[in-house]
Amino acid sequence: MVALTGNASLIGQDQRIGLELAESEFGGSTPALSVRLEDGGSDEQTATTAFRRLLQQPVVALIGPSLSQQAFAVNPIADPAGVPVLGASNTAIGIPQIGPFVSRISAPVSKVAPLSIQAAKRLNPKLERVAVFFAQDDAYSTSETKIFQKSIQGLGLKLVTVQRTSTADIDFQKPIADTLQTRPDLIVISALPNDGGNLVRQLREMGYAGLIAAGNGMNSPNIYSVCQRYCDGLLIAQAYSPEAKTAVNRRFVQLYQKQRGGTAPPQFTAQAYAAMQVIHEALTRLDRQESLRSQSRNQALATMALPELRRALNTILLQGTYDTPLGEIRFTPEGEVIQKDFYVARVKMDAKGKTGRFALLPNPSPATP
Amino acid sequence: MDAGLLEQMLLGALLGLSVYLPLRCGQLSLATPGFFAIGGTVAALLSTRLPALAGSGSTYPITSVLLEMALAALLTGVLALGLGRVVLRLRGIYLAIATIALVEILRVVTLNLEFTGGALGIFGIPQPFDSAAGYAAFTLALLALICWLCDRLEKTRPGRAMAAIRDDELAAASQGINTADTKLLAFVLSALVAGITGVVAAHFLNSWNAKLGNFDASITTLAFVVFGGSRTWLGPVFGGLLLTALPELLRPVGDLRLIVFGAVILVGPLFFPQGVITPELFKTLKRIMLRPPTPAAQGGKP
Amino acid sequence: MEALLQLLFNGLSVGAVYALFALGYTLVFSVLGVINFAHGAIFTLGAYFTYFLIGGAVGANGLMAGLQLPFALPFWLALPLAGLGAAAVALVLERIAFRPLRDRGSDPLLALITSLGAGVILVNLIQLLVGAESYSIPVETLESLPVALSIAGAKVRTVQVMLLAIAGLLLAALSIWIDGSRSGKALQAVSEDPITAQLLGINSGRMIQIAFGISGFLAGVAGGLVGLSVSIAGPYFGIGYGLKGLGVLVLGGLGSVPGAVLGGLIIGLAEACVPAELSGYKDAVSFGFLFLVLLIRPQGLLGRPQANKV
Repeated sequence: MVALTGNASLIGQDQRIGLELAESEFGGSTPALSVRLEDGGSDEQTATTAFRRLLQQPVVALIGPSLSQQAFAVNPIADPAGVPVLGASNTAIGIPQIGPFVSRISAPVSKVAPLSIQAAKRLNPKLERVAVFFAQDDAYSTSETKIFQKSIQGLGLKLVTVQRTSTADIDFQKPIADTLQTRPDLIVISALPNDGGNLVRQLREMGYAGLIAAGNGMNSPNIYSVCQRYCDGLLIAQAYSPEAKTAVNRRFVQLYQKQRGGTAPPQFTAQAYAAMQVIHEALTRLDRQESLRSQSRNQALATMALPELRRALNTILLQGTYDTPLGEIRFTPEGEVIQKDFYVARVKMDAKGKTGRFALLPNPSPATP
Repeated sequence: MDAGLLEQMLLGALLGLSVYLPLRCGQLSLATPGFFAIGGTVAALLSTRLPALAGSGSTYPITSVLLEMALAALLTGVLALGLGRVVLRLRGIYLAIATIALVEILRVVTLNLEFTGGALGIFGIPQPFDSAAGYAAFTLALLALICWLCDRLEKTRPGRAMAAIRDDELAAASQGINTADTKLLAFVLSALVAGITGVVAAHFLNSWNAKLGNFDASITTLAFVVFGGSRTWLGPVFGGLLLTALPELLRPVGDLRLIVFGAVILVGPLFFPQGVITPELFKTLKRIMLRPPTPAAQGGKP
Repeated sequence: MEALLQLLFNGLSVGAVYALFALGYTLVFSVLGVINFAHGAIFTLGAYFTYFLIGGAVGANGLMAGLQLPFALPFWLALPLAGLGAAAVALVLERIAFRPLRDRGSDPLLALITSLGAGVILVNLIQLLVGAESYSIPVETLESLPVALSIAGAKVRTVQVMLLAIAGLLLAALSIWIDGSRSGKALQAVSEDPITAQLLGINSGRMIQIAFGISGFLAGVAGGLVGLSVSIAGPYFGIGYGLKGLGVLVLGGLGSVPGAVLGGLIIGLAEACVPAELSGYKDAVSFGFLFLVLLIRPQGLLGRPQANKV
């Protein structure tokens, strides 16, 4: 269930592609897997009804919802019903703790964010003064900025100003003018692609020439059309990099490009794809295990009662290790994701300033699980 | 039907009634989502921070929910009493905008305060019922009670005074009706209904955040009343039930569902300029049922 | 001095957008006495029209994915054409959502709801056809101009100054038309009292159409211009201004055209005065200010006391 309408529909739109690609990739092989897509809207009420609707159907697991706030509203419904819920884009602290059936493959903010500050420090060792912007009405950005601010202070840098913006803001003249007076060497932004992209563009237009580091919320090719040539040089913390050189990722990028033309897949698409992959692989292992036990071929899962199947799937899902486009991932017993690779990329725009790529910076620090 | 959807429809009907009450005396107040948000925040804070309310059973005690409702009602009532005196001097669209401004200020303050959880809100709100059906039964009882009270109100002196103010405030004042107090009464009642609805909604949604009382919600709830009809309490109840259910019932049309929903809101008022449910509708129905027509009992325009 | 000038720039920069948005919004109110909730959607359409006319291609997610016009117009030609396109939509809207209500003499409250429905349709139609991704007018459109102006150490983006200047020009043109021409006077007569105007031989229905057409044109042009300054943030682009726009309208005085521009600038300045530590409360400050003005002067800054219109 993803947000296909409302103001989070940009996320849902990316996720939908990932789910559909995964369905065509894994759907054909046994055990057959198909996607039943519901619009969860961008609010809690719509998400609740959509979730309940799906729970009444013979689904083995749920992927979604798109927003962390929605997860807090709907996951407590799915958990007692005994349906595994795999979050593909919820990053707030406390989501896997909702219950034993709730897990996620989207890495929590605390892991990804500090990397880009470290990268900025490597690029400019003389870095001292840091300004922070965050979108105060976005749950992701408000959690991320706390991590950013902690790691700025942890590195001994000076936090010169914290500006609160809103995802609906479009003109940042005032916070930018205030910030430029504090003469920062680095500006750190936690926002979504649209408002964040506009902020980057306006910072550059107002004459800021220093480094800009953006949080994971802006890790989307959607920013290219927003800040255009001014995106160039932007540092971005990534939980997914289209440039990762694993076989699985190359296959995923190839599938994506076959359907969508030359562009690189966004993180939300990769995460949704990975969520399907995880469920598919867990089901396959379950199938094998059950077939061995009951000694019937290919019928093992079909004969299992749905509640039992869901329970068994949840158990086996949390035990596995998966090689996904996001890199190698596994889960804690609680359902929190343990992701091996995170990246910091620097945006490189083409000569016309229309599109660009996230060029990986060398030696990304390996995250400690 | 799915009990979860039924629950949301019932909550929609309650919010519809909250917008309806001031509108019945001609006051276009859009403060409902604000009081709704306050009710929800009260419930979210009390039930997650006060262990004393949690009880000993596996589910959260209903008595605690009732206590939250009482506190929410008290808080919203007092607030409405104070604000009402100030804002009800405004009329028409100016009142609407002033109330929207208040709701927006409340939203921004909630976002910025630490103890309301900022953008993420408050989550892990305990559940007084095991199933959505439990919520639906509880909310149905609440709705029935409030409808009954509205019906009583409409048949008594303050109710008739409200209708008189709506028809012509000057004339009503010249008949000795205390228009300021009557309008204030409607405003406070509206706040109470919204506040206790917020309490139920917070438990039902497991979580609560600042987004739940915003401008969009103001306009949607107004649509409930205008669509359903604003001259008898059945109008907003009908509008709230139908317009909450409609986007969900339209799921089979897939990507077109909100387009169809918009078309219904657009076309509805063209066919039913007084709203779908009007006192005249009852009269017609009664006539069809071959009973002697009785004078409009609703206190609206004849 | 520098600080004061910067403050002024900050306020004007935000205010310019509000003022542009509110101009067309207020025109319909002045004539019909109703708020057109679909105004934001028409503003959005204007931005998209401009984008397509300058040769932009549809992204990968809508039904029209990959579509592109075979020609690319210069921005200054595309903008008025997009305004005309938006005006055409506004006229259709008037025909469907407003006129049937007026013909029956219904409660003006209903127009709030029918226009809301029309807005919902437009927004979701845009999403269906061109997807939810953001589009943008190339930053190179103003290539010959410097991106920012710097006066006595205070800075402002050139495009914002331009928006403000255009808002001023449109205001002047509108005022000249309303006060100086026959049709403008007829419009005033209709907004004062449609029935008397009818008796005086003015075709009220036609005047209302004209008002809608101009309002749509202004919304479309505003959308295209704002799209030059920031990206077109998906189908909800203009809807986001609905609330602030309403505030601006009421602050300036409902139905007052100069009031709309003044209201926009004042809200912009009010927000600019919020210190950085309290930046989170920016929107509360502008609405708090609006609330106070309403209590002291309910008709708004430049509005006339009005009968109970909704």
